[in-house]
Amino acid sequence: MKVKILRQMTPFSEPYWESFDYNGPEDTTVAGMLTYINYNDDIVNDKGESVGRIGWECSCLQGVCGGCAMVINERPALACNTFIRDLESDVIEIRPLRKFPTVSDLVVDRSRIFEGLRDSNIYAAADNPRANEDFEHRYLASKCLKCGLCLEVCPNYGSGEVFYGAAFANDCYLVYAADTSRTAEIKKEYDEHFGGYCSKSMSCMDVCPEGIPTLASMAKMNRARK
Amino acid sequence: MKEVLIIGSGIAGVSAAASCAERGMHVCLLSPFPSERSQSVMAAGGINAVLEDNNQGDSVESHIEDTLAGGCNIAGKQAVTGLCDSAEEIIRMLENAGMVFSRDKDGRIARRAFGGQSHDRTCYSGASTGKHIVSALVMKCRRYESEGLIDRRLWSDFHSGLIRDGVCYGALIYNEATRTLEPYYADAVIVATGGQNALFGKTTGSTQCDGYTAGKLFMQGAVLKNLEFIQYHPTTIETASKRMLISEAARGEGGRLYYEENGKRVYFMEEKYGPEGNLMTRDVAAREIYSAGRPVFLDVSHLEGGIIDSRLSEVRDVCSKYAGIDITREPIPVAPSVHFFMGGLAVHNNHETSIRDLYAVGECASIYHGANRLGGNSLLAAIYSGTVAAKAISERDEKHDTQDFSGYIEEENKKLISMMDSRSKFPVAYIEQMLAECMNSNLGIIRDEESLSKGITETDYLISVADRINYDSSVLPYFNYSIHGKLALGRACLACAKSRQESRGSQFRSDYPDMTDQFAYATLIYYDNGEYNVTLDRERQYES
Repeated sequence: MKVKILRQMTPFSEPYWESFDYNGPEDTTVAGMLTYINYNDDIVNDKGESVGRIGWECSCLQGVCGGCAMVINERPALACNTFIRDLESDVIEIRPLRKFPTVSDLVVDRSRIFEGLRDSNIYAAADNPRANEDFEHRYLASKCLKCGLCLEVCPNYGSGEVFYGAAFANDCYLVYAADTSRTAEIKKEYDEHFGGYCSKSMSCMDVCPEGIPTLASMAKMNRARK
Repeated sequence: MKEVLIIGSGIAGVSAAASCAERGMHVCLLSPFPSERSQSVMAAGGINAVLEDNNQGDSVESHIEDTLAGGCNIAGKQAVTGLCDSAEEIIRMLENAGMVFSRDKDGRIARRAFGGQSHDRTCYSGASTGKHIVSALVMKCRRYESEGLIDRRLWSDFHSGLIRDGVCYGALIYNEATRTLEPYYADAVIVATGGQNALFGKTTGSTQCDGYTAGKLFMQGAVLKNLEFIQYHPTTIETASKRMLISEAARGEGGRLYYEENGKRVYFMEEKYGPEGNLMTRDVAAREIYSAGRPVFLDVSHLEGGIIDSRLSEVRDVCSKYAGIDITREPIPVAPSVHFFMGGLAVHNNHETSIRDLYAVGECASIYHGANRLGGNSLLAAIYSGTVAAKAISERDEKHDTQDFSGYIEEENKKLISMMDSRSKFPVAYIEQMLAECMNSNLGIIRDEESLSKGITETDYLISVADRINYDSSVLPYFNYSIHGKLALGRACLACAKSRQESRGSQFRSDYPDMTDQFAYATLIYYDNGEYNVTLDRERQYES
């Protein structure tokens, strides 16, 4: 099996494709495959050249932390819950998420997700929940990994300077549902950084590893009244 | 304004950060990655609290008694009382921050019982309580970030403490962007770096929790405590990349453990311990499963479908996705795995370590859990400990004098540069793998003098090798320089286990199977220039 990886030594160097021959176990995930390739005396590419170890980020290895988000065979996904057998391909092509600055190889800097939420004051200030607010919806929205897969696939998300994307919309909904005292402020931020820009392709929901119903969050935010 | 440096941004770290900010202090919250990547998000089960509306005759006193008894009576009563007393307030604080708790049919916060508990007092949020606590506390911190009281610093790794004459003045940090070591001076440093799973290789935990910070601080003079007490989670499943946890909720909701003999199911826990046998504490369940000496299964297929979908959905999904098992129809093959460390940095009741102005919170601190931790108490302790440390720091009047660490920093930077200049075909990962094999085979569920002595000999050898190898410059320098602290911590765990010549809680010695009054104290370990000195805390210098 051939593994093609878009590599980049530093944030400022040029990216380049490098291929590896993978002969390890097939009943594993892409994360398991990357670990296998890296765990060798010396790693060599498919030309037999000795190269540096592949940089990638991980923590939980079970799909709940979002660290290993990357683009696998052109689909944004978590490496730790993407199984090689499901890819049904002899060539696996992996690249870092394109919407964020690359740190090295498959590691990207997703700080702007958090900066957007911080700078627009998306937090609950008191337990003042809206009556009849749906527990199941809040539970799911609160599971957002901030992995960035929804932003990678979004046709409207670019530099993240104005439009903050689905991760932002769901946190807005969480605050709206938990604290009625901040509705007007949250609604204003939502309109400014989400509502006015989303073209409703809803591709974010197709790739979300937690199955978050962003459309439902949007519906509630669009109707938001104090 | 007091300056506090917090290392680690999981639940304990963000709890400490929010509490410090609430008290008007400025916080630098430092971690390689955001809180969403921390091990805290993996905590499944719940958080213990006796709430005002309990209707089963539960009380805070019962929670205290259960916690002390579960820890085999070596935890400090005063410390545990503080923990349990604060539990309800913590639940209310989480609700204020937007936490979504599961509800019962009357709309109250739902509660269930975990092993070793006399009452249903574990509050939860589906099967991903840790994740929901992280989401709520991150939002709480976000408010203080907006106000400039908390600055998050990512892409940063702990290197060492800036410690002189028993006082901590800050920490030396590896900046991944500039690729240099930089000092961060503070009036107090709070370590919130979690447990040391990675010493054991494949466990249920995060790859980020490697014990390096505790190991390095130990080498710099901090006292460690109770390292022999390692909790094995009784029910985990093997998958390609790691061991995955099957939440204790699966037993709490009515799951039954069994093995097969002559084609028949033997419900060995129920046979030995009665109808509630499946809910025995984690150490007992882990030892019984290990001692069965054959494949053991956990069956939840008899539970109503609604229970599996509403309360065990994460268990259902993990088994289906990673092991191809449909838990509504098939039993789950389970085995114990390293899960939680009751041991860590020795702290006083205010969470200050043996080094002044250096605090430890969450799993890296050893307090409250004694020789074994009850399910649902770690999330509580993580949040509570952060608030206690913040209070202690805010109440301390004195501010630091300044100290010149430039010589030390220059020397460490030179070492780092020479490390990055080298090229080796013998990566540190191999030594880590050998350490994991050594720890698993010699510091397992059942130990004896021979296995522990063998482990000590092996770690001594690895320590001598680590001093001589060249490093692989294509990996993050952290992975190279951290090997020494990890090895020292592994060696210290073995020394503590060897020194405790009895069985208590999670430590089971086949050569000393009984619990004895002589050892009814915490273990302390000091590092002195390569020597590992173990004593018992008979005077209760730390937790009381």
